[in-house]
Amino acid sequence: MDVFFMLLINGLAEGALIFLMASGLSIILGLMGVVNFTHGTLFIWGGYIYIATYNRTQSFLLSVLAAMAAVFLLGAVFEKLFVSRVYGNIPAQILITLGLQVIFTDLVRLIWGATPITVARPDFLAGRWVIGGATIVHYRVFLIFVGLLVAIGIHLLITKTRIGMVIRAGVQRPDMVQALGINIKLYFTFVFAGGAALAALGGALYAPLTGSMSSTAGLHNQVLAFIVVVIGGMGSFLGSAFGSIFLGLMGAVVAWFVPSLSVVANVTLMALILAFKPNGLFGLAVKK
Amino acid sequence: MIKQQFKGSNKMNLLLLVALLLAMMVIPHFAKSATVALISRIFILTVYGMSYDILRGYMGFINLGHALFFGSGAYIAGILFTKLDNTFGIFILVVLITIIYCSAAAFIMGKIVIRGGSVIAGAMITLALGEIVRNMAERWRSVTGGADGLPFSIPPIFRDRLHFYYYALIFMLVMTLILRQFLLSPTGRVLLAIRENEQRAKFLGFNTDKYKMIGLQVSGISAGLAGVMFGVFNRFANTDLLSVQQTLNALLITLVGGTGTLYGAFVGSGFIAFVQNTLLNLRSQYPIFERWLLFFGAMYVLVVLFMPSGFVGLWQKLISEAREKKKGSAVDAK
Repeated sequence: MDVFFMLLINGLAEGALIFLMASGLSIILGLMGVVNFTHGTLFIWGGYIYIATYNRTQSFLLSVLAAMAAVFLLGAVFEKLFVSRVYGNIPAQILITLGLQVIFTDLVRLIWGATPITVARPDFLAGRWVIGGATIVHYRVFLIFVGLLVAIGIHLLITKTRIGMVIRAGVQRPDMVQALGINIKLYFTFVFAGGAALAALGGALYAPLTGSMSSTAGLHNQVLAFIVVVIGGMGSFLGSAFGSIFLGLMGAVVAWFVPSLSVVANVTLMALILAFKPNGLFGLAVKK
Repeated sequence: MIKQQFKGSNKMNLLLLVALLLAMMVIPHFAKSATVALISRIFILTVYGMSYDILRGYMGFINLGHALFFGSGAYIAGILFTKLDNTFGIFILVVLITIIYCSAAAFIMGKIVIRGGSVIAGAMITLALGEIVRNMAERWRSVTGGADGLPFSIPPIFRDRLHFYYYALIFMLVMTLILRQFLLSPTGRVLLAIRENEQRAKFLGFNTDKYKMIGLQVSGISAGLAGVMFGVFNRFANTDLLSVQQTLNALLITLVGGTGTLYGAFVGSGFIAFVQNTLLNLRSQYPIFERWLLFFGAMYVLVVLFMPSGFVGLWQKLISEAREKKKGSAVDAK
């Protein structure tokens, strides 16, 4: 029972972290039809900026906000200078974002070095509860809380607000929305940069969990996010939420019982789901 | 257009080809050994690039896990040469096992990706698959040597650099002929049809999934064989050969050379190997060139933005423009 409880918390926390990453990807893909291969890079930029700020200021909140703001700007620049030139041309989008990923991952190595850098958890989240035989790390509970908050926030933003309405309309008929006097390009930049900021949030929260950040962490997490987006149904926000929880829980269970299989488990799961549901669990496939 | 590329056997092209071939045959007798090694590398990477071009250029499929074939070829060579023996007989065995392994891997990859459907899903899924294989190679230390890599000795017949140059040249020529024949075959034509309009190919009664699978098999096996040669060339295999970076190399080779041209791979791999070599030579003076990937990425973005059809595409465009002009002036003269 203790093990079950611990795995549940660990799995949900892991899922929340994957969700932060996958939700940004899924929003950009679902709303703009763009697959963003820079996501893993934006993730590590978030992590590194968080660590750099935290080591100077010792303020958790300030560091997270700094990471998100900086990467928001970076995302806006990516969209304005590169991605906006290749809307509608999917192979070019994939290639150009891959190129940016290579450049900016190497820039991280240039600035912060190729070896991982470490960071401590902030004091107020560093503790743990011991209930029976189970150890619950405060930070993991915090992650679950943040993930839930972000999920609800984005859902409300897209479905209930005027901004969400414009974005949804712009996806279907950008020219029409533009004709109504709304600067749709600005909204798309905003969506892309918003997705980037979510990746940065993921990176900033990931760093204190593992205690370190390395330039290879981006690709690893990007792969997890991709698997989530594929099994959840390409571009379905709800799908990526459930996919993340599913993947997180499965990861925790497999790592506990059969650690040697943890590498292949994710892909096996993806293959199985695609075999039975080619469009993913929430089948809102982007047909392109 | 396609016909022109392949059967463009007008005398000029043929002559050019023969001259190039002759040049490649005599070059090693005049060049420095470093240059001979560089060109051997280009030959092998050309095959790797061509294998990628079948997917990207002829099927319109972006495979981000392609390195798993290439790297596996190198690893199969390394593992068998260390665990068994380094004779020519084992080399034959390596080739056979690579073909079987790559065929099986392509089958599994195809089963998953073709279910997934779109180009986006394909790219995402193959990236995940490639990373998984790299991860497995990194953890299976007892066989692959983990992150340290796997140095191994090779059959004596391949040890001489000058001889190996010719083996690499023959390898490239044979693979080019085979792949060219494959693309000209009815199966290859169907692949083109799928790239241009999958729906229509389906309506014509072709089982498009089956053809995609065949294309992936051919591409995977060629990449695997290129990997074997690359492993023998370096006498070393490491997880970098399985990484996304290695896949991106193939992508950049086809991009720079020109996608959907097959021969573009030769131009592309030559250009990239040359640039890389030059930049790495510069690093003793300017430390910034240590970060070759920065330039690699920048090249990538620039090519996608400004030269989407690559060198061969650019060349064809120039030629056709020149022809138009000729025609135009001929009409004027009348």
